[in-house]
Amino acid sequence: MPAVSVRDLRKTFQLKQKAAGLRGSLRALWRPSFQELDAVRGISFNMDEGELLGFIGPNGAGKSTTIKILTGILHPSSGEAEVLGRVPWRQRQELAFQIGSVFGQRPQLWYHLPAVDTFYLFGKIYELDDRKLKGRIAFLAEAFEIEELLETPVRKLSLGQRMRCEVAASLLHRPRVLLLDEPSIGLDVVAKQRLRMTIQRMNDLEGVGVLLTSHDAGDIEALCRRVIIINDGEIVYRDKVSALRRRYLTVKTVDVRYNEQLPPDFALPGVEMVKVGRYGAKMRFDTRVTPVGPVIGGLAAAGSLADVTVSEPSLEEVIGAIYGQAESKDG
Amino acid sequence: MASGGRRQAAPGSGVRSPSLKAALGKYWAIFRTQLVNSLAYPIDLLGRSLLIVLFMWIFMNLWRVTYGASGAHTIAGLTLADTMWYLMMAEAVMLSKRDLSEEMTEQVKDGSVAYLLNKPFNFILYHFAAGLGHSVLAFGGNLVIGAAVVWLMVGPPPGIAGWLFAGAAVILAWLLDFCFSALIGLSAFVVEETAAFRWIYQKFLLLLGGVLIPLDFFPAWLQTFSLNLPFAWVIYGPARLFVEPSLARLGQVLLQQGFWLALIGGTVWILYRRAAARLAINGG
Ligand SMILES: Nc1ncnc2c1ncn2[C@@H]1O[C@H](COP(=O)(O)OP(=O)(O)O)[C@@H](O)[C@H]1O
Ligand SMILES: [Mg+2]
Repeated sequence: MPAVSVRDLRKTFQLKQKAAGLRGSLRALWRPSFQELDAVRGISFNMDEGELLGFIGPNGAGKSTTIKILTGILHPSSGEAEVLGRVPWRQRQELAFQIGSVFGQRPQLWYHLPAVDTFYLFGKIYELDDRKLKGRIAFLAEAFEIEELLETPVRKLSLGQRMRCEVAASLLHRPRVLLLDEPSIGLDVVAKQRLRMTIQRMNDLEGVGVLLTSHDAGDIEALCRRVIIINDGEIVYRDKVSALRRRYLTVKTVDVRYNEQLPPDFALPGVEMVKVGRYGAKMRFDTRVTPVGPVIGGLAAAGSLADVTVSEPSLEEVIGAIYGQAESKDG
Repeated sequence: MASGGRRQAAPGSGVRSPSLKAALGKYWAIFRTQLVNSLAYPIDLLGRSLLIVLFMWIFMNLWRVTYGASGAHTIAGLTLADTMWYLMMAEAVMLSKRDLSEEMTEQVKDGSVAYLLNKPFNFILYHFAAGLGHSVLAFGGNLVIGAAVVWLMVGPPPGIAGWLFAGAAVILAWLLDFCFSALIGLSAFVVEETAAFRWIYQKFLLLLGGVLIPLDFFPAWLQTFSLNLPFAWVIYGPARLFVEPSLARLGQVLLQQGFWLALIGGTVWILYRRAAARLAINGG
């Protein structure tokens, strides 16, 4: 049995429309008019027990709406969903004992208190035995590398430290499924990586299944084996991360800077020059056409390097490419 | 496709009925956490408790003149000392009760109310436990400082029974006040702005609840009118019981509080059920 199964899930929000001015207000009172917004348009997917599943999409794609439905705080307009064999919006309280959730934009730790106070509070809320709770906190503190942070008021922690505490708090009651909605939002690269490492560790140690949303493909790439891309309420891609990498993350953008001036006709074979300046250049190439090795070799040979950054396409570019391919296949 | 066609339950998925002890432990922990949280701002706490000094000073000047002018030892059965101790208790309750309605309104409006629903506790009871945690400290501070000041002004406080009876009535008073706050806060699901309701409730408490004047001093008809409204039992009831701790009065206060609690609390509960259903549809 999959840990999470979703069938043809839809959510339509009714937005109250109000015309401007007093007349508009009165009319809205008399006969409110609604505009419908399809946040989720019939998505289906499964997540296995113990799986790390990535759920990515740009802002407004419907990720949070989906997670809210799966935690039971939102009813879908139609469709089915089961989490650990329960229908979330019918059995929210019972399910709450078996799943954990973190909403990156909605911290749940008490801001002015040390994290450990919230941990003990959650222990009571989840009806955990006091002695076991102590052991559990010690274990999580080690796994999340937050031993030194637990006694510090949360407001004094960095965002990355705070998020590690948030995720640790959501695991106190040993949930079998963890729903993480953009936990890496606002984190710098190092903090993101550290958070990913701890999530990976908990998955290894306890086999907790994690559904992880992000609007950054990089988060998912490092952590998940399988990924779902959602755009505008619809699933546009689902496959192994390796396949995504092979097919859509092949275009690399390179920013390079030199200690000396570049010749104005600076070029490398198989590499598209986006911009060439006096001391640096921005270029793009497709690893399927041009292997990475020769490009880096060429860059090094061209002069004394000051800095190189290689970046992957943004999620928007990936989605654009997915649509582009679908069209060229159809046409 | 209709949802939930399957009725088959997962292994070991018996409906969980938390023991009373676990349930109480939960809200007790929320209460305690809020208490500790309030301690994070001792200056803030102290500052608010000092407000009661100002109030008592004003009242003292006002009533000394009034009693002096009337030439009587008691007015409506209350001595000047009774009146001052009454007002001390009334102010201590008034200044310590936590107005949750604004917070609730905000949570309804910005949708964060939904995020309190992903944990196994009841939203209403959560707020009540947290509110109590907030009030207890403020009340303690008000009581200590207020009592010290009034003692200096008019002499010793009522006996131990007064403190005990009033203590019990104050807890129910907070509950009742909380129900009003929740009523106002939850009305945000229906109306956009709840500030007007909040204003009206405050004024009712001030005028008909006995915050500024013991209701005993009212003309008979207004007194009867006030005592038949719930506001009197948030402030007047406990404060009056404090200066006249008879069993008869205790019974009357608790009965009145119980009656209004059942009525208003029931309304809140029904409203909350409907609000939660709406929330699940409209989202947060
Ligand atoms: N409670 C709500 N009422 C109306 N519209 C909403 C509500 N919640 C979300 N939406 C809309 O639904 C769409 C999907 O939102 P969301 O699931 O939060 O996206 P994501 O998390 O992927 O950024 C957005 O257009 C958003 O504005
Ligand atoms: Mg979101």
